[in-house]
Amino acid sequence: MLRYYLALGLRSLRRNPALTALMVLTLAIGVAASISTLTILHVMSGDPVPSKSKRLLVPLLDVAPKDSYVPGQREPYSQQSTYRDTINYLRGGPGVRRTAIIDVGSSIEPARREDPLIDVQGIGTTTDYFKMFDVPFRYGGAWSAADDERGSRVAVLSRKKAAQVFGDVDPVGKLIRVWGNDFTVIGVVGDWNPVPRYTHLINGSGGYFDGEEQIYVPMKTAVDLEVQPNGNVTCMHEAGAGWAGFLASECIWIQVWFELASAADRPAAQAWLDNYAAQEQKGGRLMRHAPNELFNVMEWMSVLKVVRADNKLAVWLSLGFLLLCIVNTMGLLLAKFSTRASEVGVRRALGAGRAAIFRQFLVETTVVGLAGGLLGLALSFGALALIRQQSKDLSAVARMDWEMLAATFVTAVLASIIAGLLPTWRACQVTPALQLKSQ
Amino acid sequence: MEIRPILSQLMKSRTGPLLVAVQVAISLAILVNALFIVQQRIAVSERPSGVADERNVGYVTARPLRTLSHPEVLAEQQRELELIRGIGGVQSVAWTSQMPLSRSGSSGSVRADVSQTRESASPSFYTVQTPFISTLGLRLVEGRDFTDADLTEFDVNKDTEAEPPAVIITEALGRALWPGETRFVGRPFYFGTSGPRATRVIGVVERLQTQQAQAGEPGERSVLMPMRISNPTSKFAIRAEPGRLESALRDAAEKIRTTSAVPMRVTTRTMTEDRINRYKNEKALAWMLIAVSALLLLVTVSGIVGMTMLRVAQRRKQIGVRRALGARWRDILRYFVTENLIITTGGIVAGLLLALGLNRMLIALVDVPRLPLEYLAMGAGALWMLGIAAVYGPAARAASISPAIATRTA
Repeated sequence: MLRYYLALGLRSLRRNPALTALMVLTLAIGVAASISTLTILHVMSGDPVPSKSKRLLVPLLDVAPKDSYVPGQREPYSQQSTYRDTINYLRGGPGVRRTAIIDVGSSIEPARREDPLIDVQGIGTTTDYFKMFDVPFRYGGAWSAADDERGSRVAVLSRKKAAQVFGDVDPVGKLIRVWGNDFTVIGVVGDWNPVPRYTHLINGSGGYFDGEEQIYVPMKTAVDLEVQPNGNVTCMHEAGAGWAGFLASECIWIQVWFELASAADRPAAQAWLDNYAAQEQKGGRLMRHAPNELFNVMEWMSVLKVVRADNKLAVWLSLGFLLLCIVNTMGLLLAKFSTRASEVGVRRALGAGRAAIFRQFLVETTVVGLAGGLLGLALSFGALALIRQQSKDLSAVARMDWEMLAATFVTAVLASIIAGLLPTWRACQVTPALQLKSQ
Repeated sequence: MEIRPILSQLMKSRTGPLLVAVQVAISLAILVNALFIVQQRIAVSERPSGVADERNVGYVTARPLRTLSHPEVLAEQQRELELIRGIGGVQSVAWTSQMPLSRSGSSGSVRADVSQTRESASPSFYTVQTPFISTLGLRLVEGRDFTDADLTEFDVNKDTEAEPPAVIITEALGRALWPGETRFVGRPFYFGTSGPRATRVIGVVERLQTQQAQAGEPGERSVLMPMRISNPTSKFAIRAEPGRLESALRDAAEKIRTTSAVPMRVTTRTMTEDRINRYKNEKALAWMLIAVSALLLLVTVSGIVGMTMLRVAQRRKQIGVRRALGARWRDILRYFVTENLIITTGGIVAGLLLALGLNRMLIALVDVPRLPLEYLAMGAGALWMLGIAAVYGPAARAASISPAIATRTA
């Protein structure tokens, strides 16, 4: 029977191609608008590292002055750690791995003065970074814990930067000159692009979604060379003079991560942090006695508002637009079905029940929905391609995945069924006697 | 014109007209809010920075790849200044720590009273040397510009207190420090959230946006501090003769790079580029909303046209009878236009309420003010006109049906 209804539906749709095209197009545009904005929101708010996101934690202490404290309120700029706390975290903090991230940038000096400089932006970190975030290597590998201790002059490059400097060869063991010193290249990172870039949300070059670290050096090395931090530095207290004064200050400029063996260890990590803060308070620091906080990956992304309000606004408006398209299609279907009262009358008179009529018209609207879905999918791909082209920031997130592909079809078919319900129900109400009499 | 028969006809078959009214309501609600947000975003991106004739202003950033001592840095600054001054097309050049709209630079806390524990404002901290104000073309509205005698010296490796005794502020910062006052010269204020580090206002400029150019008043709160500071990185604001900015910047960068004793990273940027980058998101959202609005109107018009065509088709016989009984072409036309006006007006009334509701929701979600009444009036007027335009075609065609043909068939 389904095949028969399908044939009936197709024939009826062919009878009035302009109207059918209008319905399909309206649904397709509505679906495309909402799916493309939803896709961006979906990718932006997705979990970038599902296997670990609950056991990777960012610690935050409130080091701002006591006098200006409004209890219960975290200062909006309180997002990073001091050098002193970072060193203590790395030495004795909780979890199986701990790492820190400072932003560094400079230029690689060419062998000959006349050649152009090659700019690099990246991070100073520790060896645990690479294991903690499962960073793949194309050549070589990470430095050792001993390199972290010594502050060795070693560097890991991104694949793109390595190719720019050395061409497409294995550069491990070669030297680059940065910050007036020779660094030995010991590794090249392979393709690695978590979206969002949860590891490095603050100061990450290229925004929350796009871009990459081009160079990695041991944090100790960068600190020893007095490399000026390349990212956000917030000082809420007076800092002492020079580099030593800066390191000893309450300025916050470092991002720290803990990796726990299991998410269940979080209370223990919290206890460690509270205990550490209490020790520091004995020394006269952290006089706000504000809550000491830990954030896992998803919590951290929401603290930093990775999904901008504009993206949510776009989704709401496009859903409103989809609603309009559904109402519009409803009107068109109503018009179409109302001209077929006589057909319904004949079928009813020949013994078709209301349910049969209902099924027949529902199949027809579903066909419209499927066609709208297919076209909507094509339009969504087009819209996303356009967005990628327009915005570098969004180029990493304006990408469809399988979930959204399925969502497109479900949305389209659902939309057409909702649009078709009222007209279909009206069609079922046709009284065969009246209809036949009027013929 | 009789309205009663139209109303009774509408009451008899309600669903189609109701659906059109719903469409009008939804599109009015979305349209008004979308266009209001577009206008807001465009207004934000067109705020003046305070810099006169922005298209002739740009800057060169020079960073030596070696650590230099305090005297070496100051000597290098002087050398670079001389170089840039000698370049063709350069009208004026001044050393600065940051530029408006460039999204890079420092800001800090200031307070009006020494006993305050929270800041009065967090302005952008411009460290500048003369003639910064005339190079950017800022409008001095009170007090005086800096002279070389105001410049204090600051060694980043030795000194801790960076703030000079005399500064110039923007009017917006003055309003934040001393609400209700209009004259600020001579007033003292304090840096940080503690300690007695006082300074005094010697001049006020009308406007200078911060490096972030945030929305609203905070985006115009800046303080200018006259200092020779041994920042390793030097920035030079350059005003060029009309049409010569690009070449002046290029020549300046080239000259600094090739004549430097140490390897040097030199980059250039125009204010036009910074402005485009700063407002990229605003522009993108505005375009998206405009596209949605256009589609919205298209769909709504197609809905009205479709519904009118259906009602005309259903009433061919009735039209024929009326025509045969003496109704003129324009009576029929007027009938359908009036019917449509009733439907759209209903939709518009509902749409106005819906628009206000949507506006409430958006206020909670994004930073938009309350919807002004003009927008509601304009949106309602536009949809009204659109409704008449959409119905005119099908109605005119219906009215020209010959009575003989219309009444003939079953």
